[in-house]
Amino acid sequence: MNAAPLLILALAVAALLAVICIRRSHLLATGAALLGLLAAMASIPFALRAPPAMPALFAFNAASLGFMFIILAAAAVILVIGYGYWQKSLGPREEFPLLLLIATLGACALTAAAGFIALFLGLETMTLAMIGMIAYPRDRAAAEEAGLKYLILSGMSSGFLLFGIGLIELATGSLSFAAVLAAPGDPLLLAGLAMLGVGAGFKLSVVPFHFWVPDVYAGAAAPAGAYLAVIPKLAVLAVLIRLQAAGVAPSAGLLHAVTIIAILSMLIGNLLALLQENFKRILGYSSIAHLGYLLVAWLPAWGLPAWGLAAGTVARNAVLFYLVTYAITMAGAFGVIASISSPDEPRDADRVQDLRGMFWTRPALAAVLTLVLLSLAGIPPAIGFIAKMYIFAAGIHTDLWLLIGTMVASSVIGLFYYLNIIIVMAQRPASAAATPAGIAWSSRAAMAALSALVIGLGVAPQPLIAMLRWMFP
Amino acid sequence: MSLLLLILVPLIGGTLAWPLGRTYPTACRLLCLAALGVDLAIAIPLLHGPADLSEPGAWLAAFDAPWIPAFGMDFRFGLDGISWLLTVLTIILGMFSIVVSWRDIHHGTGFFHANLMWSLAGTIGVFLALDLFLFFYFWELMLVPMVFVIAIWGHENRRRAAIKFFLFTQGSGLLILISIIALAFLNASQTGRLTFNYFALQHTALSGTASYLIMLGLFIAFVVKLAGFPVHVWLPDTHTEAPTAGSVILASILLKTGAYGLFRFVAALLPAAAHEIAPVALWLGVASILYGAVLAYGQSDLKKLVAYTSISHMGFILIGIFVFNTLAWQGVIFLLIAHGVSTGALFIIVGAVQHRLHTRDLGRMGGLWTDLPKLSSFGTFFILAAMGLPGLGNFVGEFLILRGAYAAAPAVTIAAAIGLVPAALYSLIAIQRAFHGPADPARAVPDFGIRENAMMLLLAAAIIWLGVYPQPVLNIAGPALGNLTPPLQTAMLRP
Repeated sequence: MNAAPLLILALAVAALLAVICIRRSHLLATGAALLGLLAAMASIPFALRAPPAMPALFAFNAASLGFMFIILAAAAVILVIGYGYWQKSLGPREEFPLLLLIATLGACALTAAAGFIALFLGLETMTLAMIGMIAYPRDRAAAEEAGLKYLILSGMSSGFLLFGIGLIELATGSLSFAAVLAAPGDPLLLAGLAMLGVGAGFKLSVVPFHFWVPDVYAGAAAPAGAYLAVIPKLAVLAVLIRLQAAGVAPSAGLLHAVTIIAILSMLIGNLLALLQENFKRILGYSSIAHLGYLLVAWLPAWGLPAWGLAAGTVARNAVLFYLVTYAITMAGAFGVIASISSPDEPRDADRVQDLRGMFWTRPALAAVLTLVLLSLAGIPPAIGFIAKMYIFAAGIHTDLWLLIGTMVASSVIGLFYYLNIIIVMAQRPASAAATPAGIAWSSRAAMAALSALVIGLGVAPQPLIAMLRWMFP
Repeated sequence: MSLLLLILVPLIGGTLAWPLGRTYPTACRLLCLAALGVDLAIAIPLLHGPADLSEPGAWLAAFDAPWIPAFGMDFRFGLDGISWLLTVLTIILGMFSIVVSWRDIHHGTGFFHANLMWSLAGTIGVFLALDLFLFFYFWELMLVPMVFVIAIWGHENRRRAAIKFFLFTQGSGLLILISIIALAFLNASQTGRLTFNYFALQHTALSGTASYLIMLGLFIAFVVKLAGFPVHVWLPDTHTEAPTAGSVILASILLKTGAYGLFRFVAALLPAAAHEIAPVALWLGVASILYGAVLAYGQSDLKKLVAYTSISHMGFILIGIFVFNTLAWQGVIFLLIAHGVSTGALFIIVGAVQHRLHTRDLGRMGGLWTDLPKLSSFGTFFILAAMGLPGLGNFVGEFLILRGAYAAAPAVTIAAAIGLVPAALYSLIAIQRAFHGPADPARAVPDFGIRENAMMLLLAAAIIWLGVYPQPVLNIAGPALGNLTPPLQTAMLRP
């Protein structure tokens, strides 16, 4: 049964509902959700070997199942981070794992979509559950505002998406990706694809579809922010990369558009991040910039004949590597905020000044955040360094000098605000008296695992490279 | 294997020192000293090690293991005379920087020493790596701990200095990364195999433009590190604001990585392009010498004065490298070591003055000779050494450089030699304003103790030995110059 991961996730959702009905226990609910995620992960090797069963809706192959694995692993880590965070709350907490599980089901469906129906279903399942996650802390006005903002804007992007799908259906008479791949450059089809691009751009939060990002990231509770920053981007890019690998030929206009979007994302993301005093907003703008970097490699991943044979493979691997790096580091950064915040406070400890003196009050957590920030800035020994090298390699290989130049310039801008946070952490604490509250064991474990990945894969990236090459030979 | 140990010992020593320093600061300092001692014990015998290398050239030791096969990146280390000299300099001055901060650092002792040791490990890695990507990895690795040292334990404007240092070196580092990736891919397009192996990339056939652009990326980054004019602006702030141990490492060791990079990865890797940029480099060197010297003359902050003299001395290095002859190259290597010792000593002395008087302002010194005779006499000695007094180490280096350069570029050499006049001026002014004049009767401070005297005596002995009997160093460096491809002599240069 090669749809096993999706079925297991759906079963896990039902089981979790039952668990919550029978007994309201945060530990039990989180445990059940984690079990569901892990079981889905464990079923992936079997799913790979099973014969294809649902050809019309989903495509289960090394590429989509590999992405699913990454998404499930990331969701599991964020779930554990969320447990430590919500554990500090007195209100009802059991629905958060449930929403997370539903959103992950949607993300996995989206990843494996073979046609527009599965794509839209997956996307909406994910988005609706995420709105719940964002607005979960009901006593916080900022969270509700963020939830509402995300609801309206993602509704708009869904509208674009649906309209695009309609146009494509009109042009090709089919709702499967295969039909789009086979169709010639019909203007209707192109218009439809452009609409799809708008929808994807919104989820990827690249300029000019980025306006919601800082507000929503800052308003959401830290674990929801982590989820929002990581999972939708993984899922949407999974579809884009799979389509690309299947051989959609890009038009010159598309290449120019992506180039402009990448340049603007890199520059605007990093420049606006300079002005922020809120760590979550910095992460929001930084994620815009990072998606811009990612596009620098995504562009040559089309593998045009002019660039030589290997260019497409190198670039696609670069995108994948960067994506995994991005997921690890963003989860780590939001995880640190989650570790030191409490959901019953009016806001998370997310101002840069809240981190002041962390090297002296919480040295281990400060070391983790330093590693994460070094990774975001692309400095060894963190994994982000290898990822940035990979992107540079992809761009240089294909002579995209304008993009590479922009990336260098905006990286230097980026260094400034990452370093600033590190220096704030290294300052003497503002008040020497208060001993900080303890950090939940689950958060400690998650942070330890993430920093082990950041430094382990930064020193020895070969295993990850091998896995990605297996996904997209 | 011993080359890998050379890097691992300080890396692990520093990592262990961090938790240790939280409860036992003295044990942490001793551990770091011991780790560096072990490192030195590993390094010294390598000088006589058998050269069992397939690669050409006078290599003393090598290490090779796959790292990221997907990109043809290896753990490829090689040690020749130049690397050996610079590595030993790094280890020894690292020990000094630990001893000098014995009483200075009370806050976060463990983390301080961890950063110091990591930075040293990165520097040693830079001197040993023969895989271009690995080289860059260490290049970046040595930087971040140093930023911490400045940002946490520095003086009043530490934050600004740390950010400036970070942006300049990190930003220029990206140019290195792009250059080496471009070089590797160009090589791969010819051979069909992606590799970052130094020896393989040496044989890349490059068009003039490609080679020039790649060289330019490396050149700019290394000149930033060397703090040559006009990209020196990070140096005065950084060196002034860093704690004493940080200044010692910055001036004595980290600056040298720029010179090493210019040797190994510009002059030897891309010789044709390096010759093309040589006239520019030479005049940049002259500008550095004069500019550094004139600005040093104008400083009222003693530490900043020493920092500006570094810029001036690094101008000589730049000239020496880009005249491409053996004599000047010998001089460059000699000056790197002598400058490391003399400037390290000067920063230790300035740190001691600041520790006692709580000021670096020359206007508030004066008459120190009456109160602190030992400190003042050592200070005078090392200022004279840095000025290039015959009989002391720096003179030999500068003389060899000027002598070698004169044959290739007389105009440049004459202009550079003019720089010796302001050098004498700022040196004597500094001595006069700091040590001579009437003493402040209200001042009651202790002179150098045993620890500081011992450090000073050792460094002074080293400078005298270098000045009187320079041959051993030249003998070690000599064969290694052959690794930097035979110098094309002077034909391509027009004065």
